[in-house]
Amino acid sequence: MGADFSQPQRQSSIGILVMFFYTLQQYARALWPMIVIWIFKFDEINKLYLTLGMITVFVGIGVVSYLKYLNFTFFLDAENEEFIITDGVFNKTKTAIQLRKIQQVNINQSFIQKLIGVYELDVDTAGSNKKEGAIKAISHELALELKFRLLENETIKSEIRTEETSLEETEQKLFEAVHPFIKISFLSLLKVGVTSNYGRTIALLVIFFSTIYENFQNFGDENNVYKEELGSYIDKNLVLQTILISIAFLFGIVLVINVIRIVFKYYDYKIARQKGSLLLSFGLLNTKSTIIKPEKVQITTVTRNYFQKKMGILELKIKQATSGEKEERKSIIEIPGCSETERDSILKLLFHQIPQKGLMLQPNFRKLIFSIFLSIGLPLLGFLAIGYWLEAVFFEYSYVVPVYVVIIGLIQYFKFINNRLFIHDNFIIKQSGAWDISNDIIEPNKIQAITTSQLFWHKKLNIGSITLHTAGGNIAFQLGNYLILKQQVNLWLYEIETSDSNWM
Amino acid sequence: MENFTNETIDTSQLPKFEEVTFTKLHPKYIRVVLISLVRIIAIVVLIPILLSMFKPELFSGRVWLILGILIPVFSIMLVVFSIIGFKKKGFAFREHDVLFRHGIIATNTIVIPYNRVQHVALHEGFISRYFGLAKIEIFTAGGSSSDIEIPGIEKEQAENIKQLLMGKIQKQL
Repeated sequence: MGADFSQPQRQSSIGILVMFFYTLQQYARALWPMIVIWIFKFDEINKLYLTLGMITVFVGIGVVSYLKYLNFTFFLDAENEEFIITDGVFNKTKTAIQLRKIQQVNINQSFIQKLIGVYELDVDTAGSNKKEGAIKAISHELALELKFRLLENETIKSEIRTEETSLEETEQKLFEAVHPFIKISFLSLLKVGVTSNYGRTIALLVIFFSTIYENFQNFGDENNVYKEELGSYIDKNLVLQTILISIAFLFGIVLVINVIRIVFKYYDYKIARQKGSLLLSFGLLNTKSTIIKPEKVQITTVTRNYFQKKMGILELKIKQATSGEKEERKSIIEIPGCSETERDSILKLLFHQIPQKGLMLQPNFRKLIFSIFLSIGLPLLGFLAIGYWLEAVFFEYSYVVPVYVVIIGLIQYFKFINNRLFIHDNFIIKQSGAWDISNDIIEPNKIQAITTSQLFWHKKLNIGSITLHTAGGNIAFQLGNYLILKQQVNLWLYEIETSDSNWM
Repeated sequence: MENFTNETIDTSQLPKFEEVTFTKLHPKYIRVVLISLVRIIAIVVLIPILLSMFKPELFSGRVWLILGILIPVFSIMLVVFSIIGFKKKGFAFREHDVLFRHGIIATNTIVIPYNRVQHVALHEGFISRYFGLAKIEIFTAGGSSSDIEIPGIEKEQAENIKQLLMGKIQKQL
């Protein structure tokens, strides 16, 4: 052991083959329709041209992969503690990664790499789920050595990580030992099942009725003779009854399915405390368990609707910082059916205090106008345009228009009314939603970057938008008081830049 | 973190990000933008012209007329917007953070504090390289929407900026 990584070096020379196959794969994927056509027209094609063409393609790909191989280098800059990768034939990119920022180094082998006998080394830093650096062809010893060297500088970090993994491994055992401080009862789950997912229910209803109506229409079209008799008969007696019964029936089915789904997913939900972390376990058939570390939490969302408020339950969603694809799916954790006291104790554990709503900002009424324009104006214009110029049949569905306008208008109005941004010294809370009202809570020190945005005709009106980027997603607030927002941005930047707060 | 108090700070005395003077992109960069636009426009213009020459029966005369009007209008708009977009772009490196401003209809300003930068990359496009320009890409943990890409910086200066950024990152933690 003692390979020298301080000089820029290329991949294993056999790597040209890997490059060749990957490039071939790339082209094949892009050009497969043409290839299919050629195969079908095989007999008509001049065989000489075909072979010549094939040879040119293969030689071309060979040259490209050789150039790619020549232009791909990597090295460790010991002085600056950086890992530097240079690649690209025509467009060159030089990526510099600080060693201390490296979270994971993975050594993989795909089928092609297995055939050729090389390995792939991926370097991963926090946040984005794409790989920051990937070496496509490297021998196993070299890969191991490089991995060792890349992670060498972060003994402290790796210690933390081993602790973490061991925690996760023994999670199950620990859980038995720790007394859970919150248990979500079966009754709460039933309440959640009955009160959530209305959007899905309504969508299902709409689809159901439109198909029924369509069937009636078709039926009428085919037998014009019966249409009038049947139509009047159906109108008076059956339609109302059928519709009412089927609405009730459908609601019943959706509720039952919803309840069953929720119970299966979250049965026996237990939350326990362990060294400042939260241990969760839930599930009827297969018990899932996860761990929440307060310092990794990025966005906490509290959601409840009108019925849930009456029943005294709410839903918590917790987004943790993601690093690597594996954790991606685990990163959103839902806690359904908490009571208010339970919510407060969880929030206290995550933030050390109960989040307070400070200064309140509301969006300008122009936001309502704009969203109504987008959600009602544009679709209506499209409808009219299609009706006039393309299919006059469309106007037979005109009765849908007022229903659509009222429903969407109400949704947009409530969305606007509920949209707020609360700014406190230690918390930023964004409230949003029409029926399910959610509060996204973040701490200012979790902010990664801030984007402010203003349309040029809004300058005089002093309104503008802001997006706070965190490792768990973005928080955006549109058309608020720009002066206050800018002041807050300056304050948040000051806070972030003067302290080396740990955001994960 | 809990004992971090900042009651005494007067927010009006804080350095204001909105008053920073932004550095414009290198004047040569507009050529890079225009050349890549010419490539796109050439394709958009050439294909219909070739089609109209060899297969005029493909569309009716009216459609050809509409195409003939729309394509030049579209191309001119594209060029105008690109030039405005180029003029609107600007960057600034402060002591503790990097700012990038862009946008034609809306003015967007993105700020990344140095202690939130994950890694830095230097990208040289094929055309940019001919003019000796490079693009700096600054990545954070906040996903692709919170990354900054500053194009049109002289190669040498870009290299220096990258070095400066790496130094800043190192110092901060």
